[in-house]
Amino acid sequence: MRKKVLTKVMASGLAATMMVTTMTGCTFGFASDPDDPNEVVEEEPIDTSVDTFEYDTALSGTNITLLNSKAEIQVALEAMSQSYEEKSGVHVEVMPVTDGDSPYTKVVSLYNSGNPPTLSILDTTDVIALAEEKAADLSEEPWTAEAEDYLTYVNDKVYSFPLCIEGRGLIYNKAVIEEALGEAFDPESIQTLDDFKALLDKLVAGGIEKPISLAKEDWSLGAHHLQYIYETYDGTSEGAAEVINKIKDGSLDLSSYERMKEFMDAFDVLKEYNVAKGDPLGADYDEMAIDLADGKTALWFNGNWAWPNLQEAGAENDDEYGFLPYFLNNDKDDFANQMIQGSPSKQVMLDGQFASEQEQKAAKQFLNWIVYSEIGQQMLVKKANIIPPFKNNPYEPADPLSRDIYNRVQEEKAFNASAIVPNDHWSVLGAAMQKYLAGRSDREELVQSIEDYWAEQE
Amino acid sequence: MKTKSNGKDFCMFALPGMFCFFAVLVIPFIYGVYLTLTDWNGVAKVKNFIGLKNFSGVVKDAQFWTSLLLTFKYVIVVVLLVNIIAFAVAYLLTRGIKGQNFFRAGFFTPNLIGGIVLGYIWQFVFSRVFVNIGEATGWSLFEVSWLSDPSKAFAALVLVSVWQLSGYMILIYVAGFMGLNEDVMEAASIDGATGWIKMTKIVLPLMMSSITICLFLTLSRAFMVYDVNLSLTGGAPYGTTEMAAMHVYEKAFTSRQFGVGQAEALILFIVVAIISGTQVYFTKKQEVEA
Repeated sequence: MRKKVLTKVMASGLAATMMVTTMTGCTFGFASDPDDPNEVVEEEPIDTSVDTFEYDTALSGTNITLLNSKAEIQVALEAMSQSYEEKSGVHVEVMPVTDGDSPYTKVVSLYNSGNPPTLSILDTTDVIALAEEKAADLSEEPWTAEAEDYLTYVNDKVYSFPLCIEGRGLIYNKAVIEEALGEAFDPESIQTLDDFKALLDKLVAGGIEKPISLAKEDWSLGAHHLQYIYETYDGTSEGAAEVINKIKDGSLDLSSYERMKEFMDAFDVLKEYNVAKGDPLGADYDEMAIDLADGKTALWFNGNWAWPNLQEAGAENDDEYGFLPYFLNNDKDDFANQMIQGSPSKQVMLDGQFASEQEQKAAKQFLNWIVYSEIGQQMLVKKANIIPPFKNNPYEPADPLSRDIYNRVQEEKAFNASAIVPNDHWSVLGAAMQKYLAGRSDREELVQSIEDYWAEQE
Repeated sequence: MKTKSNGKDFCMFALPGMFCFFAVLVIPFIYGVYLTLTDWNGVAKVKNFIGLKNFSGVVKDAQFWTSLLLTFKYVIVVVLLVNIIAFAVAYLLTRGIKGQNFFRAGFFTPNLIGGIVLGYIWQFVFSRVFVNIGEATGWSLFEVSWLSDPSKAFAALVLVSVWQLSGYMILIYVAGFMGLNEDVMEAASIDGATGWIKMTKIVLPLMMSSITICLFLTLSRAFMVYDVNLSLTGGAPYGTTEMAAMHVYEKAFTSRQFGVGQAEALILFIVVAIISGTQVYFTKKQEVEA
């Protein structure tokens, strides 16, 4: 009898497990990259008829690996590696970092097991942490000349290849704004924080009760919002580094730092018109794309990486979306009110410790192929949908958000400052920002947490 | 002769097990303890010996102590609730009620769903389903997501953990109840023992071995909670629901302070080992043979 019960329990248990495992086999990811790499998107054809790139035949037959931490371009990278292999004979194995794994942790564990990838796509802070210990020097590579403004230097040497430019700001849905205003909307007419507030009030009067979506995620608040206080110092990475050093050594008092005050003013405006004002920490990331595409909101603070979400929510490539700057004050001549921030976000690092000379050469050739061969140039933009940081790449991205950033970069209406902060900056100060967003802390407490954070850094 | 065959037997039966035990448990553990004394960052080729500096880093890490305190609160609530509920349900499910096999399987199912998945499912329930119920009915309890308020988020964590862990403990208690000797129970009835007396004087002492194992399992699992913590709240709102295990991970891999993180992990291990060791010692003493 007892045995029978146990068998029954086990049997139903097994059945349930199987059911659960099949169910979870589908889609479970993190809010930051909800893209399904298997999704079929209509593709622009790649013209392979012209290829003036010179391949080194001695490298044919070499095998190299590429660790990819940008899930949404996995398919594109595989296609690129295949095209490259057809032309050069070098096989590039593209390994994805699984969802939820941090790329840095993955790379470090691969290094510790003595089997690191030849090339790895990492965030800038990761490259800086690993550069001198593990990476090969790329300062002499020809492509450095094409990406001058977007190189990351570690003690005057370049250890990484800037893969893409990503920009952030207030995404607007032009059609929705025009419908609410009842007139044409020119994004360039908004030049100051007061203009912006006036626009918001008009939108409210036009029927959009709360026009802004504000993500509660710590990476959005701690990195994308808060880092404006460093990056708008003078709009350069050097300036950002300088202001960080000043905060660290105490020579800059944050509570009297103009940009800090302006940032909080701007953030308060966003807070005030937040669609989730009643419960800002209950805001749902996936819903924001739907709200913006459907016109429940008109603005969403995010970056061009949000396009796949918007597309899933029903936005089309020929819809008019674009970015407004993060308005900080009422000075029309302040660059922060005119430009949006766009900087290289993903870097490719070449292993200099384990990879043989042959493998390093093949990897370097692959990077040059992306920059100089007609096929690589096309695939980077059309397949991977990336905004290339390379001046010589003539192709334009297809989606409106990337196109807006691309055009602003071309017209020099973007600033490329990117603050290099410790890796836990987004999570520790993201929490402080969440507290402020929820109205459970005041300005002094927020400033104090930022100062405390920097005081703890060595 | 005898010692020789003993040696051979040892090699045949114990050595493979011992080898695995040492390779995946003892050696990494000792190596881990050694790492707490170095400044290794996970990448560098050289590891410098820095003595107890990492431990002074732990002392200074206020967030760690906050999260440890929160873990204690969580453990107490979860262990009590899980065991009371599981014991009561198991008692009911061995009374011969209709469909009890079905109920046993039903209560056990949450345990089969991995903590991560469970966390996501409940996150949806708390932040969407409940909020919609709140909007429809106007109940202020559900008006805003539970996960955006520190104390309600903690309650949510407890609720989900209890829901998940109870099933497993029910199974163990059910086995315990079924192992109770009917003769003893019958003898007690004949002697005139009724409900409550029977429970405290006969059932509880005889169930002590199940209680020992259930307390141990819930204690250690509650102390080491990570998956549900990560997927349900992720430490949100603003880091107030970050438990010790999660903090250790964050310290080591997000803040990249491997040494301090490792030292915190060691401290957490010692705390859990002492507490569950004490518990096993004392509850074992209560066990009786029928």
